[in-house]
Amino acid sequence: MTQATLAEQYTEAAVSAASVHRGDPDWLVERRAEAARAFAALPMPTQALRPWRYTDVAGLDPAGFAAAAASVRIDGAVPAGAFVGSLADGAAKVPVVRERLGSLLTATESRFLAANAAKWGADGVLVHIPRGVAFAGPITITVDASAVVNEAVYPRLLIVAEERSEATIVVRTTSGDAPVMAAGAIEVFAGQASQVRLLLDDRWGAQTRDFTWVRGRLERDSNFQVGSIAMGGLLVKQTVEALLEGEGSTSGIRAVALGDANQHFDFVTLQDHIGPRTTSFVEVKSALAGASRQAYYGITRIGLDAVGADADQTNRNLLLSNEAKADSDPVLEILTANIARCGHHAAVGPVDAEALFYMQSRGLDMRGALQLLVSGFFYSVVGEFGLPEIADELSGRVQAKLATATL
Amino acid sequence: MTGSPILEVRGLKVSVAAQPETHIVRGVDLQVNAGEVHALMGPNGSGKSTLASTIAGSPAYKVDEGTILYKGEDITKWRPDERARAGMFLSFQYPTPIPGVTMVNLLRSALQARRGAEVPAREFIAEMRSTLAQLKMDESFARRYVNDGFSGGEKKRAEILQMGMLKPDLAILDETDSGLDVDALRTVAEGVNELKRPDMGILIITHYERILDYIKPDFVHVLVSGRIVRSGDFELAKQIERTGYDPILQELGITRTEEAVAP
Ligand SMILES: Nc1ncnc2c1ncn2[C@@H]1O[C@H](COP(=O)(O)OP(=O)(O)OP(=O)(O)O)[C@@H](O)[C@H]1O
Ligand SMILES: [Mg+2]
Repeated sequence: MTQATLAEQYTEAAVSAASVHRGDPDWLVERRAEAARAFAALPMPTQALRPWRYTDVAGLDPAGFAAAAASVRIDGAVPAGAFVGSLADGAAKVPVVRERLGSLLTATESRFLAANAAKWGADGVLVHIPRGVAFAGPITITVDASAVVNEAVYPRLLIVAEERSEATIVVRTTSGDAPVMAAGAIEVFAGQASQVRLLLDDRWGAQTRDFTWVRGRLERDSNFQVGSIAMGGLLVKQTVEALLEGEGSTSGIRAVALGDANQHFDFVTLQDHIGPRTTSFVEVKSALAGASRQAYYGITRIGLDAVGADADQTNRNLLLSNEAKADSDPVLEILTANIARCGHHAAVGPVDAEALFYMQSRGLDMRGALQLLVSGFFYSVVGEFGLPEIADELSGRVQAKLATATL
Repeated sequence: MTGSPILEVRGLKVSVAAQPETHIVRGVDLQVNAGEVHALMGPNGSGKSTLASTIAGSPAYKVDEGTILYKGEDITKWRPDERARAGMFLSFQYPTPIPGVTMVNLLRSALQARRGAEVPAREFIAEMRSTLAQLKMDESFARRYVNDGFSGGEKKRAEILQMGMLKPDLAILDETDSGLDVDALRTVAEGVNELKRPDMGILIITHYERILDYIKPDFVHVLVSGRIVRSGDFELAKQIERTGYDPILQELGITRTEEAVAP
């Protein structure tokens, strides 16, 4: 397809026609049309914008890619009354979707999100957990773009956790060796006293570029925990935000990235303390081999009404080779004086020489020592999730990747 | 009882790698043969740990002169992991905490490295259990992060646990006795004694005679300002316990202040 015909896919007319053809309800056809209008109006982000400072997106305009849909597989037991399945089905059957979909991540805030809102397809998923319902085990949503070649995918996930509900959702993203562009959107509504755990498990192929947004809105006493394991892909930029609106709500963001070759990871987090006595915890870690790169830009905002807020933000980067590079940019915006704690820590450097010597003195060679050290360094992100299979598997994957990484 | 040489240190001079003008070990000769236990004593800051770390291959130190032979082979330029796999073991005076890495993971990797082969899980677990039991250590210990939040005594036991698993041919125990209560000291010393083999050499760095009551030294050396100034038998350790280092220093015509600034 030529550039012109590709771009035509994103026009309002084309988007509306495709939506009608899909059988979307009228309100959704209109939402997608709105998104197409936003897409037409929005420029691509540039590095002059602070969240985009470390990542050049020239040549990655969605308009240059035909829209495709990743296939989705869902594993895990869904209790009666809950809904885990196609977002298109959910839009027709589950009443809350109309009110919530696109209300947290709006199409007007970014060209990538506009493209997503206009074009998400069979890779849209809805998780609705009714009042008081707790999922027995994790639900794993595998977003598989391995059939996609040189096209864009727009996975979308809406999680609505009603009052006192509880769920753990693992989102695993995979693709093949061909170039893929992904722009994902995950909206999470954590109702009063609900507990939502979301684990992003990036297993993209080596030529995939991914831009994913996660935004959670937390009601009173709710708890929203996000974990992210970034190992695959050529460029992975994740923006994870927790809007701590309800009094006593708690968010945690724990991310790890293991880079090699020319992989580029970019994490942006926002912990927005809006309600009183809210708590946030952020720990973003990377271990970088080859000429890989990691950037972190995180904002802890403590609003006027967020009295008694407790916030802790840490970014640690281990450079495993001389060519690797990490940038760390943690920011505090504090508007009230009455807070419990607001800490931030950032570190970039090589592995602790004493720890390395200690392990070498036990017979481990440099690579073997780094394999153990990095597995240990990463454990904190999954340790909290209570998913031992994923924790064990992670350590195996870290060891395998470091077995061939350029140190 | 003397066997073949395990460790031969010849004319060794060592400085701090990051500050080459800081000379710490200033001409040491030491030979440990199979079946022998040597004790190395000396005032704080005399260079005992530096000598031990250098023998183990620490990159923090630079060998300016001299050689280190292990089982007759010049290992002065070997990497620390090569020395360890060949059967050298250093019990650290200050074991390094490694958050996130469990004892069990370290032990497993270390044992595989030492044997140069996969160690079947069952065999590994059985061996770890019996070594833990021998050192009167709880099994939950193995699931903790290496030296992370360990008490002083726990750290020293953890070192000997590793020694017990790795079965070295040369063990250098740097103040393994410090931080241990009397019962723990006996347990650890008995553990070391059980690991002692006729084809093995042991170098014990200590400030106190007590550990030597359990692990009887064949030779005792005194290191002052980076040089071995006196060697003797167990009697020398007992004498130091009674009188301290001052008589030796006086005899050598060094006062403590001089010692601190001597080039
Ligand atoms: N990495 C280093 N950088 C700077 N100085 C060092 C370093 N390592 C050792 N030193 C110095 O070298 C001297 C000897 O230190 P060392 O630790 O070897 O003494 P020691 O005999 O083991 O003492 P102690 O009985 O207190 O354990 C000390 O003055 C110490 O400060
Ligand atoms: Mg010392």
